[in-house]
This record gives sequence, C-alpha cells and structure tokens, in this order.
Amino acid sequence: MFYSVEELQKRLAACNYLTDKDVATVIYLAVRLQKPLLVEGPAGVGKTELAKALAAATNSRLIRLQCYEGLDEAKALYEWNYQKQLLCLHVKQNRSKSWDEAKDDIFTPEFLLRRPLLEALDSEEPAVLLIDEVDKSDEEFESFLLEILSDFQVTIPELGTIKARRIPIAVLTSNNFRDFGDALKRRCFHLYLDYPTFERELEIIHLKAPEIDRLLAEQAVLFIQTIRKQNLKKPPSIAETIDWARALLTLNVQKIDDQAARGTLSILLKYQTDIEKILPRISSLLSAD
Amino acid sequence: MLEEKILKFCRLLRKGGVNVSVSQITTALEAVALVGLAPLDFYTALLSALITEQMDRPLFDKLFHLYFPTSAPEGKPALRKREQAALPCELVQGVEGQGMGRGAGASPYLLLVKAVRELNYPLLRHLAEIGIDSIGAVEQRAVSEMESLVEQVKVAVGWYQAVNTLEVIHAQEKVSDTVYLQWQDCFHYLEQYINSQLEELFVKKYGEEILEEIASAANLREKDFYKLDKRQIEAIRKRIIKLARKLASRYARRYRRAKHGKVDLRRTAKEALITGGTPLRLKYRKRVISKPELVLLCDVSGSVAVFSDFMLQLVYTIQNRFSSVRSFLFVNTIDEVTEYFNNNDIQEALEMAFAKSRYAMSPFSDYGRVFRSFSEKFLPLISPQCTMIILGDARNNYNYHEKECLLNISEQVRRILWFNPQPRETWDREDSIMSIYAPSCRQVFECRNLKQLEEVIEAIL
Repeated sequence: MFYSVEELQKRLAACNYLTDKDVATVIYLAVRLQKPLLVEGPAGVGKTELAKALAAATNSRLIRLQCYEGLDEAKALYEWNYQKQLLCLHVKQNRSKSWDEAKDDIFTPEFLLRRPLLEALDSEEPAVLLIDEVDKSDEEFESFLLEILSDFQVTIPELGTIKARRIPIAVLTSNNFRDFGDALKRRCFHLYLDYPTFERELEIIHLKAPEIDRLLAEQAVLFIQTIRKQNLKKPPSIAETIDWARALLTLNVQKIDDQAARGTLSILLKYQTDIEKILPRISSLLSAD
Repeated sequence: MLEEKILKFCRLLRKGGVNVSVSQITTALEAVALVGLAPLDFYTALLSALITEQMDRPLFDKLFHLYFPTSAPEGKPALRKREQAALPCELVQGVEGQGMGRGAGASPYLLLVKAVRELNYPLLRHLAEIGIDSIGAVEQRAVSEMESLVEQVKVAVGWYQAVNTLEVIHAQEKVSDTVYLQWQDCFHYLEQYINSQLEELFVKKYGEEILEEIASAANLREKDFYKLDKRQIEAIRKRIIKLARKLASRYARRYRRAKHGKVDLRRTAKEALITGGTPLRLKYRKRVISKPELVLLCDVSGSVAVFSDFMLQLVYTIQNRFSSVRSFLFVNTIDEVTEYFNNNDIQEALEMAFAKSRYAMSPFSDYGRVFRSFSEKFLPLISPQCTMIILGDARNNYNYHEKECLLNISEQVRRILWFNPQPRETWDREDSIMSIYAPSCRQVFECRNLKQLEEVIEAIL
C-alpha cells in the first residue's frame, strides 16, 4: 500500500510505466477507496499495461479475466468439476452411503474449479484483478459483475457466501466497443487514457528503446503525433510507436527521410485505406517547418 | 461548506445534462477528503468520480473553471510548454499601438496571422482580450446571446480574414501539414479562450446564478438542432452512434427472451411420441419478430438538413432492426438515395447521397410538388406494409400544398409518421402548413433535439 500519489507514481515508474500526475491521482484514489478503476481510451495506449504495472508496483498477483461475447459465470467465477465428482462417486460406489453424505462429499471446495473472479476474491496474497475489455462481454455478465464489484463477495449455493479475504484492486478496461450500463459506470473511478503528449511519448521511447538517438526519437514522435491528427481509421498507438522506433534502430536509420518513412509506414498504420491516405503526403508531414 | 459547494456543482452538471448519482457524489467527497484541495488533485478527484462519459468532459471542464476559478488547473500541459516563450514587451506595446478598438484604422487580422504563424499563445490571448474589450459592454447582454457575442469578437480580431490569409499562405508557400495543423490548433484555442473569457465576464457580473443558464445552454440533449454549430454536430453524431448501439443491444436481449414464450403444442406432442406419449420437454413457439419496413422522406433544405442527416445516420446504424429501409432526399424534387447506403461507411454514404442525388432545383422546399412526383415515380414500387416517415418543417414557401396527394399516399402505406424539427409554437406560422398535412399522418411529432429524437425513435421500433 502507498500513502501518497507521488509514491505511487514513483513505484509505477520503477516498473517502467510512466504516468502523469493526474493519472496517478485517479489510480491512487481507486486503490485507497477500494473502488474498481475503469480505464477507457483508444486501443494501444497502455490500459492493460497499467494493470500489469500496478500489480508489479504493489507486489501483488495479477489475475486476468479476458472478456468476450458469451462469457458466463461458469467461465468467470466458478464451476463444479463435474468429471472429478463423477469419478469420486464411482470410487465410493461400493461403500454404500446415503445421498446426504455423498452430497456433502462432492460439493466441497475440492471439487470447485476456481475461475479468475473467485480466485481474486479468495486469494491469500494481495491481488490485482484485471477485467480486460469489459465492453466485449454481454449485458447479463455486466450486471453479474456489478454484484461482485460492489460487495466483493459471492454466494455459492452449496458452500455459502464467500467474502473477499482482502479486497483486490480491480481494474476494468474498455475500448468503447459497446456502451455499458450506467450502474456499472457509477461504481467505478474513471480514468481516460489518451495518447501521450510529445514529451511523455519521447520519454516512453527512451525507456523502451534506450539505444535510440535523441534527435531521431524526437523526429519520430513528432511525425507520429502529426499522423494521429489526420482522421485515420486506426491512429498509431504507443505500442506502434515503440515498434516503429525499434524498427528504425534495426534498419540503422539516422534520420527519417521520405524513403525510410515509406518503407516502414506499415508498422504504424494497420489499414490499407489509412496508408493510402498518408503516403502521398508523407514528405509534407515529415518536414517540421 | 466545501460539501455544499461540491453539491451545488453537481447540480450544475445535472443541469448541463450529465447524469450524476448520489453515490457518485459521496465517492467524490471521499476522494476529495483523501487527496486534498491542491488544484490539480481536486480537479482530478471530482472528474474521475463524477464523469462517466468522456463526451461530458468539455462541459465539466468549462463549469469547473467557472465555478472553482481558483482551483482550476491551467490549460493542457502541452500548451503550457509552448507558452514559456513569453510575450516580449515591445510586442505588447505594438499590439496596443495598432489600436484594435472600435474606429481604429488598421485591421488587427495581420497581428492574428502573425500570432498564429509564430504559435504565440500569449499573443493570441492578448488579442482575444482586446477583441472582447472592443465589442463593448458585455454586461448588458444575456447569456443566450453568447454565440453572437463570440462571433462579434471573432470579427473584431479579424478571424475570417486571418483564416483566409493563412489558407492562401498554406497553398502558396508549401507549408507542411504539421504546421498547418498547429495553426488550426491555434484557432481552436483562440475560440475557446474567447468563449471562456466571455463566460467569466458573465459570472463576474451576475454571480453564480448565471452558471445555471450557462450549464443548461450547454446541454446538448436539449439544444435545438438548427442552433447547433459544427463542433456540436460532431458531438451529437457521437451520441447518436451511442444511442444506436443501445437500441441494437436491447433488441438482442428481447429476442433471446422471446424464445420462452407460448408453448408450441404441435411440436411438444411430436416430441412426446419419442417418449411414449409423455411430454417430457416443452417446446416453445419461436416468436417471429416483425421488422418494420421503413421509407424515409427527408427534407434537406436549410435548417432541416442537420436533422435529416442525424435521422439517416441513426436509422442506417440500426438497419438490422428493419426488414428494409428506403430513403429519399428532397427539397423541391425528390430522389432515392437507398443505394448509397448499401455497403458503405455511413458517413461516406451520407456525403455521397448529399453530393450526388438530385433533390433540389432551387433552395426552396416545395412539399406539394415533391408529394406529387413521389406518387408518380415511386409509390407503385413501395410496399403497402411500410411505415413512411417524413422529416420536414412543412414550410412550403407558399406553394400549392397538394394534400390530396399525401392522402393518397397514406392510403397505400401502413402509416405515415411526421417528424417536425421546428418548435411546436411555430407550426402553422408564416409558410408552415403542418395542420394541412397532419390529417393524412398517423402521428406528428415535434423532434427538435436529441432528447426528443430518442423518444420518437421508440415510436418506429
């Protein structure tokens, strides 16, 4: 646990995750007030990375639940290990027992398959629960999540209510693929991660690709920041910036000229229409004056 | 004390159309207690607890700056860096020497051009302040005049001339796109600065009461469509996409639930044969969901165009809720635009439809003519099961109404719904002949803002 925003910021930085003060403040608030943190923003700005860094910074276990359409309680919370129960009954068949006894035997924690949510609640050590891409899940799942995130407890009919041993830090991420209900949103702290500023992005490049020349990095970041304003289908994210910087290093580029940019543009832009939009104007976009 | 202030602030947000729940307010108070009142921390605490939609953020920022002027964080960090290039004092004198006040000879736009080319933010702010001074007593104006006030300041600082000059420079001097974008940022910043300065003046003059007016004026959901500016249209567009998603997902849920409807006896009995006549499992009747067929007639003249644009976007985004959608644009002649929406990006399709179809021979709408040519050209091809929706203000420019024609159409379709984007008070005033057409329609709705659009869309689903 940490007791100031600065401390959190420093610890995250030590885990190679750079944050602005306001971002750190929101994270700090969510952690201290034990509320889930809902992180939104364009793809590839480091939403998932944030949860990973947070886990590292707080020395906790990262428990990840990837959401997808059709995800249900059995996959997210718990499931009875049916095969194992059958086996058990089979083994015990000869020693004839009453049904009540057998029932007590097979509905015990031993036969419980813990899925990420239950695991996070039941974890001995501190945990960061990452619920990735909540927007991809169904509406029913969302309301089910609501119960867990507000009370941090679940009820399993055969076992009773399981309360969180210690409340995990819950991080939810969303790409705004679908809009989810107000009820869930109201329970969370909101963090909108946007593309970084010029200075921040430069720092990130230096952190992730340390061998890069300062001038080259500046030129690269300026170019990327310009492209982002071009109304593209998928603007390049931080992940792409880093890939690009590494590619430039590998190709031994000293200065990004027309040729170099043309050759590596496909690293930055993932849609053909975007590439076609940028290619003809590449030299104009490259020159800074 | 502080709690009260925060509560009041939440009330303002609600006035502005942001949903703030009581539990959110409690969270906000806890958060503030935890991080304290240092400007940035206080701001971040409130923002992260109260704002659940990114699109509400500009409103939050605006109200926060006005309501907590001392704790507002200054500008974006990106801007701050550039501003370190301080304003040289001879330049300040130069600005004033030019005399931007009323009646001054030299036009200030050259200075604006200079400021933008140098990305000189302090000078931009300075120009805005002088511009605001020059339009005189703001104090006597009302908040409702805000837009025209901003416009006046823009004229005073030579905004439009400066934009033109810079366009020319951009074209002639081969200025790179990077720089051109930075220029646009400058203009955007200037406009916002003018806006916020004016609002501050208002607050100074009238005190906090005026904030409620500012907040409700900024409420996009209740703002009349024809009063929207370009940026607001963009904002509404985003909201419409959201609305469409909501409608689409609600459909999915209803559909799934519908499977457990009535028991299908025939199929249950058939199943029962397998188990020797005992019906073990009930079979349910699959409910067939009736999908309405839609025909949209959109007036795209003048003020109605924005509304038609929104409506088309909404309808085509939830296209799967209808068995078919046909759309027509008209002003004084009518053309079908359905094909543009076939497999295109909706935004592109809208642009193509507006650019390529032939819906106007003059800028004045003529409903009579349109209804006549629609019955002649298209009516035989329209299914009698369809719901026809007419979007228009029923302003016929004093042409003949041809109401018989509309009556005839109404007999050949399931129903006609009319969405009128003008305020109900103005119907049947001047050249509006809503009540002549109304008898042929099943229902006529007033649909002047996003809130009403949301309500009205339920009527066709």
